[in-house]
Amino acid sequence: MEFHDYYQTLGVSRDASADEIKKAFRRLARKYHPDISKEADAEARMKAVNEAYAVLSDPEKRAAYDRLGQNYQAGQDFRPPPDWGEAYEFSTHGFSPGEEAEFSDFFSQLFGGPGGFRRQGGGHFRTPGGDVRAEVLLDLDDSFNGATRQLSLQLPQTDAQGRVRWVTRSLNVKIPQGVHEGQIIRLAGQGAPGMGGGPAGDLLLEVRIKPHARLRTEGRDLRMTLPLAPWEAALGATVAVELPNGHLKVRIPEGAQSGRQLRVRGKGIPGTPPGDLLLDLQVVLPPADTPAARQLYETMAQELAFDPRPSAKQ
Amino acid sequence: MREQDLLIGSLLEETWMTLEQVAAACAVEPDWLRRHIDEGLFPHAECVAGVWRFTRVGLVRARRMRQLERDFDAAPELAALMADLLEEMDHLRTRLRQTGT
Repeated sequence: MEFHDYYQTLGVSRDASADEIKKAFRRLARKYHPDISKEADAEARMKAVNEAYAVLSDPEKRAAYDRLGQNYQAGQDFRPPPDWGEAYEFSTHGFSPGEEAEFSDFFSQLFGGPGGFRRQGGGHFRTPGGDVRAEVLLDLDDSFNGATRQLSLQLPQTDAQGRVRWVTRSLNVKIPQGVHEGQIIRLAGQGAPGMGGGPAGDLLLEVRIKPHARLRTEGRDLRMTLPLAPWEAALGATVAVELPNGHLKVRIPEGAQSGRQLRVRGKGIPGTPPGDLLLDLQVVLPPADTPAARQLYETMAQELAFDPRPSAKQ
Repeated sequence: MREQDLLIGSLLEETWMTLEQVAAACAVEPDWLRRHIDEGLFPHAECVAGVWRFTRVGLVRARRMRQLERDFDAAPELAALMADLLEEMDHLRTRLRQTGT
């Protein structure tokens, strides 16, 4: 097991005051905030920062850590002294047992985290494991039809010695029909293991839908731009719209204009209730690139009393 | 359970969470949530027949606010304001992703 230099993690000196430690933690908590940070390893860095702060912000833990770690460097091979378990009694505050379950082996060995030897004999802690979050990226077709996805996830697992390690687990997950962007699929009992016989947390899979060439999703509603020829818009027409579950014939009322929206109820992503299909109409002009096409435009110009800018004369 | 067994989950959107479930998932006391609801800091929570219920948006909000209050000693109103802004950012990011840009 490697020694963790918590002072190095927070970027403070060993004689830093409690206030300096708090300030350093806040600066890093802002830098690696999961909603804001653009750092690739922000989540792992935030866990390390939380772990360091959990120890250095607690006077009891800090004193014990200082006494133990004065001769160690970061990364050096480390074993806690045999009498460590009897020498100290730590309380938990600030971070939940679920959060502490995600801290390193080093932390759990020293401060009685999940599976640490300090809790093996006692068994008086019985706390549920934390939830684990992950994303699942789906095609729009999967929303319509449902799917089965094999996911490879880093999940905490308790080994034979009761220590928590991050292991890669392969899970086969059924994606129900009708899922949409942002929804969460909860897999009960597949999250972090509990402590002292407590139940495991849940695995929360957040659904992400890959961008589609033509269709956008808004909850269960589907939205797309529907190009129309001028005569389809002016005279009305029935046009075919291609959706992931087949073709749909949509009637365009006569006199349709660009910018108008048609709502086809119940033809979005399936569900209870199903979403709607929203069509943004866009009239597309044929190019006047042949004599015949030019002639048709000239005839319209001469014979139609059409002013597209009536307000411009006022 | 074998690793290759097919797991069938439940959709959080369609299964409401109780106040106690949200509190447990966020490692906070139920009273912390009740206090914040009473102060109007959880606009997403719904009360039906005297029972509070939450969707996943409420769960994410509770986690964010608890983290902001703990990490920065933020006042609950400030944590709620930050949560509002983060929710707006989630919404805009989702729209951006949907347009494929």
